[in-house]
Amino acid sequence: MSEKRKVVIDLEESEKVQLDGFSELNSVDASGVLSVNNVSERSRIWNVKVLLGSTRDKTDIDEDTVSAGEIDVGGKWETNYGIKVEEPILTFKEVFDTCGTIETEQPHWAYVSGKENPVKITLTVTNETDEELDNIILNKTIAPELTGIEIVSVKSGTAEYDEGTKQVVWKDFVIYPHESSQLVISATGVVEDTNPKKSGDVVITYRGEGQQRSALEPDLNALTEFLTGIETAETEPNQWQCTLECTNESDLVVRLDKAEVFLTPEDGGEKEKMIDEAPGVELAPDQEWAKSFEVQSKSTPKCTQDLVYTPIGTIKKRVLGTIEKAAQEIPVYSIEYSKTFDPPSVNSFDKTPVEVVVEVTNNGSAKLNEITIEDQLPDDVMPPTSEHVTVWIRNEEYSGPYEFMIDPEDQDPETPHKITFRVENLKDSGGELEPGESIKINYAVMAWRSRPEKEYPSPVVCTANTDPAGIPVVMQSPEDGHKIGVIYKKRAISTKKAINKGAGAGEYIVVLAVSNNGEVTAENIQVTDWIPAGFEYVSTDPEDEEPEVVSAGDGKSMVWKWTRMNPGDKKKIRVTVQGEGEYERREPEVSSI
Amino acid sequence: MLKILYFGKTSFALRYNEIVVVLNPGIWDGKPIVPDDFSARIVVATNQSDDAVGNAASIAVNSKAWFLGNQGAADKASEKGVKPWLLHVLKPEVPYEVPDLKITPYELSRVDESEGGRIENLGLYIEIGNMKIGYLGDTEIRGPFEQLDMDVLIVPVGGDGVFPVKDAVSLCIDAKPRLGVPMRWSSDEDPKKFAKYVQQFGQGITPVIIEPDQVLEVHWAAGNEFRYELN
Repeated sequence: MSEKRKVVIDLEESEKVQLDGFSELNSVDASGVLSVNNVSERSRIWNVKVLLGSTRDKTDIDEDTVSAGEIDVGGKWETNYGIKVEEPILTFKEVFDTCGTIETEQPHWAYVSGKENPVKITLTVTNETDEELDNIILNKTIAPELTGIEIVSVKSGTAEYDEGTKQVVWKDFVIYPHESSQLVISATGVVEDTNPKKSGDVVITYRGEGQQRSALEPDLNALTEFLTGIETAETEPNQWQCTLECTNESDLVVRLDKAEVFLTPEDGGEKEKMIDEAPGVELAPDQEWAKSFEVQSKSTPKCTQDLVYTPIGTIKKRVLGTIEKAAQEIPVYSIEYSKTFDPPSVNSFDKTPVEVVVEVTNNGSAKLNEITIEDQLPDDVMPPTSEHVTVWIRNEEYSGPYEFMIDPEDQDPETPHKITFRVENLKDSGGELEPGESIKINYAVMAWRSRPEKEYPSPVVCTANTDPAGIPVVMQSPEDGHKIGVIYKKRAISTKKAINKGAGAGEYIVVLAVSNNGEVTAENIQVTDWIPAGFEYVSTDPEDEEPEVVSAGDGKSMVWKWTRMNPGDKKKIRVTVQGEGEYERREPEVSSI
Repeated sequence: MLKILYFGKTSFALRYNEIVVVLNPGIWDGKPIVPDDFSARIVVATNQSDDAVGNAASIAVNSKAWFLGNQGAADKASEKGVKPWLLHVLKPEVPYEVPDLKITPYELSRVDESEGGRIENLGLYIEIGNMKIGYLGDTEIRGPFEQLDMDVLIVPVGGDGVFPVKDAVSLCIDAKPRLGVPMRWSSDEDPKKFAKYVQQFGQGITPVIIEPDQVLEVHWAAGNEFRYELN
């Protein structure tokens, strides 16, 4: 028994999808190849016509019927066509999160320079059709700055990382209708420069057996080896049996669509249709089909036939798809900073306002959404008040929201303070800090009696982050960095004393001349002069320089205290004392800071 | 109410009732700061430099006003025609007193930038009406002013032989007047910095920049509430 072969009408349609770095659809192009394959081993087919009708609407095929001519044994005829489509049957989304350890609504999109970035890559494929998709192979290229690649999870199939090709290959899985599958990869990204990197591209191939992107429903109309004839046999005198006989001589299955036989009357009148059949019967190779009718005629009846048949076609179709996703650009966030004092040095023991300027520059390739500056003020420095800070962004004074905190919240110059400046959410208040742009803050502090033997480091820590915030980039000075210079100015307090006789008996005028002959202001000056036993303090000229008189064992001490003497300041004091005996001279004592 | 009129540089006029005191009507770049015909009762020069004495003699002569100054300033005023009977030499820490006015001079000094060394200068503690005014003239030292109780402290900030901004601010912080007024600035930035630093570091002190020809009015409302207005 012969094999039942049918002519194959094949629709192989392809879609090629281009996605951008963020998995957005750039383009989807679809095309198809319509072919007719004569699978017969011994029968040609000819007058082949492919019937498309209105199903060709989504294609660029111009005619409802396409002529394929003659197709030899084992031969094939084919034609190409384009298809209009809007979306692919498989969709893909890659989420490249540069900081997978911090969960945020949107993924982190930039590397922090000089640190380990815990990268998490999530690859999701979704079957958008009502049929199964198979033969899916996904190749993910791993960027060179990533190390420690690990397959965290795979919903279906197998995924492996090939160190040699730097690729993750995910395969051996199918996706059921309207379902998704997901692969999660983790890695560590380390970048030392600030040039933007690439996330690595993705290529996916897939197959949808039995699916098509066009709406083509082709049918076939052709001829092949098919034997037909009418046998006229007299069964009784002038009684005839006419039989239409058909035999499928090919090795293809042939469908008989129409069988009509016309009898021409003996008297030459109008032909009479004696067989009018639309059997639609499928005839296997060598199978016969016959139909008879009876007629009376003195002579052999004259019959003609009209038959329509065609080898049967069977449709095979599939969709082959390719998705190419471009690599996502991964910028790098990085900052540099500068800090200056004006003046850079102050005179020792003086009170000097010092302007502090800290400028943070975005020297990376990513936009920055928040900046923090922490400035440590040493002791002997009076901190600013929060309302006296000026901020510039892009060299223009910034009036948007920011925090400026001083801890502890006082202006005590004897304790260290920490100043924290923070500006967040720049994207909603003037725009993020673009690469090359800077933010600058200025405030004044008061160097408060800086001592020459001390050092006054004022280290600074600057941090910045993106939106959403990931691992902050940090630039900081050494702990003993940014010292406020102290210019040593010599102190020289001169004290001269004279003891003169007064107007009355036992009265002495003690003259004290105190002067600051040094280069720097003296503070908390204390001058002590001794009054011998037997003498009493009487008065002072000027009166408002009256000393504190205290007992001192063998007499009394006069003590003057002045808070400050500038270079060149002089004080001359005349003290009247009264008593008996010799007024012994001792040198006055002076101390100051 | 005390009205303090600023002419520019170190020149001021203090007006209280009938008393008008002109301070340091100097000549700068050959031009007087205060008009010769300005009417005053007392003219004070805190040192003998032209930028302090200036046209003090002319003002004093025209107004028949008293001239007050240290010996050097008095000598110069005398040379310029001030009658001896209208001259009064101020001695350090010896007050000069008339009704509603008491001026106590203190010995200060400035740097002589042309010849080097120092020039004697008087800082004035002026009690006028019920206000206490500190006026340092041209000084590079503060003397006793940090210990004086003052409602208004007028300090140089220019740094050209006198206080730079930092020392003026430092004195304000130590003396704690109610108002700190800069004068004799070398650049427009000087008074702004003075005001910024005093406001920031001088707790309770209000800096007031008086532009030339502006008048600062100060008074005690209800006898105990200090008020000021700049016009």
